[in-house]
Amino acid sequence: MTPEQLTRQQERVMEVVNASFRARQDIDRALREIDRRALNAMVLVKKHGNALAGYGVVAQAFRERAALLRESASHLQENIAPLIEAQMRILQQQRLLQNFAQVENSGGTNLQAQCAGLLTTRRAWDKAIAAEQENARKILRQLLEEVRILQEGVEEQEYVVTSGRIEAALVEASGVPLMRVSRDMGEAVRIVARAVRDYRQQLERLQDESY
Amino acid sequence: MKATKVFEAKDHRWWILYDQEESRVIDSNVYVMESQGQAFLLDPGGFEIFPQVFAALVEAVPPASIQGAFVSHQDPDIASSLPLWHACNPKIQWHIPALWEGFIRHYGALEAPLQDIPDAGGNTLIGGRRLEFIPAHYLHSSANFHVYDPEAKVLFTGDVGAALLPPGHSAWVDRRDVDGKSFAAHIEKARYFHQRWMPSNRAKDDWIERVRKLEIDYLCPQHGAIYSGPQVQRFLDWFATLPVGNGIA
Repeated sequence: MTPEQLTRQQERVMEVVNASFRARQDIDRALREIDRRALNAMVLVKKHGNALAGYGVVAQAFRERAALLRESASHLQENIAPLIEAQMRILQQQRLLQNFAQVENSGGTNLQAQCAGLLTTRRAWDKAIAAEQENARKILRQLLEEVRILQEGVEEQEYVVTSGRIEAALVEASGVPLMRVSRDMGEAVRIVARAVRDYRQQLERLQDESY
Repeated sequence: MKATKVFEAKDHRWWILYDQEESRVIDSNVYVMESQGQAFLLDPGGFEIFPQVFAALVEAVPPASIQGAFVSHQDPDIASSLPLWHACNPKIQWHIPALWEGFIRHYGALEAPLQDIPDAGGNTLIGGRRLEFIPAHYLHSSANFHVYDPEAKVLFTGDVGAALLPPGHSAWVDRRDVDGKSFAAHIEKARYFHQRWMPSNRAKDDWIERVRKLEIDYLCPQHGAIYSGPQVQRFLDWFATLPVGNGIA
């Protein structure tokens, strides 16, 4: 890897780390909001008895899906810490390698003859970095798979929101503000969808630029 | 390593990153102060534990929010990760004891922006909140500082209060320790550290006298566990009576 590629890779990792923090915060907040909205909807439904039973089923499904999303999101966190740690180990070892390179450059052609261990050690560091990079790629693939599962969950939640809108329209005459409740739920799901999509893009960019 | 909140009031937080997984190097705590979205690192740790410190930090704050960092003294467990942090975020302003600047740059941080703290101390602003650099010379290093946050009543004390604890230790010295029994057990793990690493009884007495004037809810050492509430007073009383500098027979 050239020094320019190294710097670029490092910048990309930092972008992912910061994006990961933001995504986690956004997803947590939006999932809490989804849960709150679903609970409010269920309370409204209970207050109005059988007239809103259909919407009650939707609200219950919405809440259950929210719990599943939270579960999927927790797996993201489990994988991001090892990825960050692996990337930082690469940085650490590259730093040592740079020191070796400086020694080699300043020592001229005779250096390796005078100090055979230098080449062996440098090769060992190269190997260690290659192993860490492979490990990081593996974690990244796993993380992308977790993100894909989370995205599927969000899509299913969007489907529940649409069902909710239809149910709300059917019972609009009841005077209960279910359309607004559905709109709020939809907005909370959109926030999660956007956060997950942005996060996925960051991870894919890192994957594309991994060496 | 794990990240745990030490203090929180609205947009003002303190975190401890603790219980490192690598046992071949001394177990170290790293602290983060966060105010209005800006973060400040205290004693960021050694080169060897950098990957796990960094991964734990992301539990607490986004790395891009780190504006500044503080290095209490020149030791490798405190500052040898400096070039790696600098590589991750070159905008971090490093506050270091002036006396140690030329030494700390030996860690491979020729380009890092280092702000010298004069012997008399100083302060800095993070997210609109003031942090004070309090002189703690000869405790143990000849140019050594602690950091006080008067609003959170947190005193970061570097090696003072340090204890050598086993893996899996708590971030806190028992907070429900009514009769002081837990403190007594804990402080035995701190005794040798203070007697051998701290060289000067005069420096110790001077520090205790100054620190007793501060309001402290959390006394946060760089090794071991945090003293909170009544444990702070217990620690100061214990330290006051402890003869140090026992390397000379």
